[in-house]
Amino acid sequence: MSAPTLPAPLPAPPAAPRTTAPATRPATRPALDAFRAERIKLTTLRSLWIPPLVALALTAGVTTAIGASLGDKDDSLTVDPGVGVFYGLNFGQAALICFGILLIGQEFNTRMIDASLTAVPRRGRLYGAKLALGALVGLTVGALATAGAFAGYAATAPGGWDGPAFVRAAVAGVLYQTLLVVLCLGTTALLGNLTAAMGLLVPSLFLLSPLLSGVPGVRRVVQFLPDRAGQYALRYADDPQVGYGHWTGLLIMALWTALAAYGGLRALRRAR
Amino acid sequence: MIEIRGLTKEYDGRRVVDDLTFEVRPGVVTGFLGPNGAGKSTTMRLVLGLDRPTTGHALVGGRPYVELPDPLRTVGALLDAQALHGGRTAHGHLRWLAASNGLPARRVDEVLGQVGLADAAGRRIRGFSLGMRQRLGVAAALLGDPPVLLLDEPVNGLDPEGIRWIRTLLRDLAVEGRAVLVSSHLMTEMALTADHLVVIGRGRLLADATTSEFIDRHGRTRTRVRAVDATKLAALLRDPGHGLDATEVDGGAWEVSGAEPERIATLAAANGVVLYEIAVQQDSLEEAFMRMTADSVEYRAEAAA
Repeated sequence: MSAPTLPAPLPAPPAAPRTTAPATRPATRPALDAFRAERIKLTTLRSLWIPPLVALALTAGVTTAIGASLGDKDDSLTVDPGVGVFYGLNFGQAALICFGILLIGQEFNTRMIDASLTAVPRRGRLYGAKLALGALVGLTVGALATAGAFAGYAATAPGGWDGPAFVRAAVAGVLYQTLLVVLCLGTTALLGNLTAAMGLLVPSLFLLSPLLSGVPGVRRVVQFLPDRAGQYALRYADDPQVGYGHWTGLLIMALWTALAAYGGLRALRRAR
Repeated sequence: MIEIRGLTKEYDGRRVVDDLTFEVRPGVVTGFLGPNGAGKSTTMRLVLGLDRPTTGHALVGGRPYVELPDPLRTVGALLDAQALHGGRTAHGHLRWLAASNGLPARRVDEVLGQVGLADAAGRRIRGFSLGMRQRLGVAAALLGDPPVLLLDEPVNGLDPEGIRWIRTLLRDLAVEGRAVLVSSHLMTEMALTADHLVVIGRGRLLADATTSEFIDRHGRTRTRVRAVDATKLAALLRDPGHGLDATEVDGGAWEVSGAEPERIATLAAANGVVLYEIAVQQDSLEEAFMRMTADSVEYRAEAAA
């Protein structure tokens, strides 16, 4: 470094104002740039790209392992193949939930959101890029994990490949995981805080919702919670106690997700 | 160029920025001065669209920040060097920033070299010292080669060599024709770096002048004298007939305000006092700043509230 000991004499000579680069940009370019930036954020941070891989490994792996060890001993996994195929999803979704929360939550936590908003000041554009990336990762993990779970189940337990219920469960398996990521991302944006989002989403999706659905009276209400409704679409068999159809269940989850995503947008736009 | 017009920001009824109006012109380093909590950081956040003004506006190159296409090509900002994810490498952090504004990836390596972090490019930010984080923040600000730079307390945490580096860098950027706004509460540093000063206190504009004008207006100018015969000098300076405002500072040296050195020298010669030291002394920026804030009625009233 060859810095002079003293700065240049005051005042500095005035110079012509510089101009910005010419704006030759198709209308879609800023949105694509914002998406590319989000994609790089994902691939450059280990704590962001590991959870989706863990989700994939657990959803497909646990189903295969459980099928191999219990497939011929435990009826509950084979009476409704949907229960057996997506047994691993109970574990894998924990990692997906964390991924959805972390994708935007770690920016609130580190206050890096300021740098993101300085780079992409249109808040809707920044948020849209994050939603798109979250949905794309959810869709990819969902497709691979669902395929892996079906393959693992078929290798260890009989049946499960036939009929419209199979098609429905397979499609729902992919969409459920996609919606789950977006639901968590939207809720975290709505709360604007990583810790609050973990505190709300993790217990309610893992403890409250499954536990309360065992309570007879409360069950009628709890079945409309996003995870309960979405998981009903994964089942092959009808449940007389559920007041809606399988596809409707997925739709209910989609409505929750849309609500959370919109709430997140409102919160991000209103902040400060 | 940054234009700030009637900018006001209230949080829960408390005015943090109060009717600020000033400009940051290209080609000069503008120092943004004020005590901690004066509203410097809030003003910068308002310029960057991170906070919304209650009233008034801030324009960059004639437009609100949020309306700039690829804002990093117009404005480079360093706010809080800590506000980034420690798990990324320096290179990774700059790569997403570059992509977000359609900047070529080679800019990442260029700015890392420019701030002296080329060797640390592949290391996680978590292990960076505060000084290295500041350099990374400066690299991020330079990424889009912007005509406007906004740096909030850039010398915080830097060692003397780093401080000198920032000073030279800011002056070079201004000489290249960029508008540079740099905030600090370190007066001595600002005196060396800034050509122009914008001083705020309790969110209000207290001064907007060139650095030398500011010191001339708010600092005192004194003539320091010392004579061979200290007793004769004391008698001369104390003589009410000469109307001098003189104070003894240490061991026979006197400081006279309100008189030209020529007049004192002539007077001494006429009275047979032999001077062996005579020098004009001007207040430092820090002294001028302290006098100005102490003199400012608004500032005192606000401070007492």
